Amino acid sequence: MSSKLSKTSDKVSGDTRSDESDVRSATAPHQHDFPYDREEEAQVTRREFCNFLGLTSAALFVGAAGFAGKAALDVGHTETVTAAKIEGAAELMPGTSLSFRYPTERDSAILVRSLDGTYHAFGQKCTHLSCPVYFDRSHQRLECPCHEGAFDGRTGDVLHGPPPRPLDTVKLEVRGNGEVWAIGRAAGSNEKLI
Amino acid sequence: MQYATTPTKPGSVHGHAGRGRTAVAQARLVLLVMVNVAQLWILAATVEAALTHRFSALLPLVVASGICFVVTLTLIFWWRPASPSFTSSGYLKR
Repeated sequence: MSSKLSKTSDKVSGDTRSDESDVRSATAPHQHDFPYDREEEAQVTRREFCNFLGLTSAALFVGAAGFAGKAALDVGHTETVTAAKIEGAAELMPGTSLSFRYPTERDSAILVRSLDGTYHAFGQKCTHLSCPVYFDRSHQRLECPCHEGAFDGRTGDVLHGPPPRPLDTVKLEVRGNGEVWAIGRAAGSNEKLI
Repeated sequence: MQYATTPTKPGSVHGHAGRGRTAVAQARLVLLVMVNVAQLWILAATVEAALTHRFSALLPLVVASGICFVVTLTLIFWWRPASPSFTSSGYLKR
C-alpha cells in the first residue's frame, strides 16, 4: 500500500515538473532562430521602463487636465432652478435636521431647524473634499466626518477644520400652513475660474 | 582639434564609454521617476482644487503638469547617451 502511494506521489511530482521540461524540449529546436530565454521573460528592460514612465506621465497630465476641465464645465453650467416643496419640513422638530434633494435628484441638501424654530438649508457636500455633512444635534452644527470640518448650523460658515469656504446655501421660503419651499441655491464661493 | 588615433585596446575604451552611457541612462531614469512623482503630487493638488472650488489654482496646476509631460518627452526622445558609434571622448569606435 505504502509503495503504491509513493509511486503515485512520484508520478504526481514528475508530472508537475514535466510541464516546464515539455516546453523546454518543445522549444529547443527553435532556440537557434528565436533565442528566447524563459528566465528573462519577467525582466523589464530600461527602454521599456522609460516608455512606461512616459505613458504614466501622459496619463497623469490627461487626468489633471480632465479634472480641471470637468470643474470648469460644472461651474459654467447654469441650471434653471424651480421652487420645490420640502416634504416633512413642517413636522420637523426644533434642533433636528432633514435630508432632501434640491435642485436635482443628484444634489443632496440638508434642512436644519434651529432651536428657535427658524429653518436653514445647505448643500450637503463638504466644501473640502465633497464628503456629505451631517447635523450634530449636541453642538447644533454641521460636521464633516471625513476630516472633522464643522460648519455653523445657521449660516453655513466654517467653524473649524480644513474646509476653505462656507457651505452652499439653499434659499427657503415658508408659505402658508407652515410649508417650507426651496426656491434657489447659492454657492458658498464666488471665485472666478481664472 | 586633432584626436589621437584609435586606441590599441578597443575593449577598454568600450568599457569606459559603456560605463558613461550607463550613468547617463540611470540619471535619465531617475529624472523620469522624479518627474512622475511631481506629476502625481500635481494631480492630487488638482483634484483637491477642483473639489474645493479653488478655480484660480486649476490652470497653473494643469500647466505645471503639461510642463512635466514635456520634460518627460524630452528625456525620453532627446536626452540620449552618446552615440554607440563614438566614445564619450569623441573617438570613433571600430
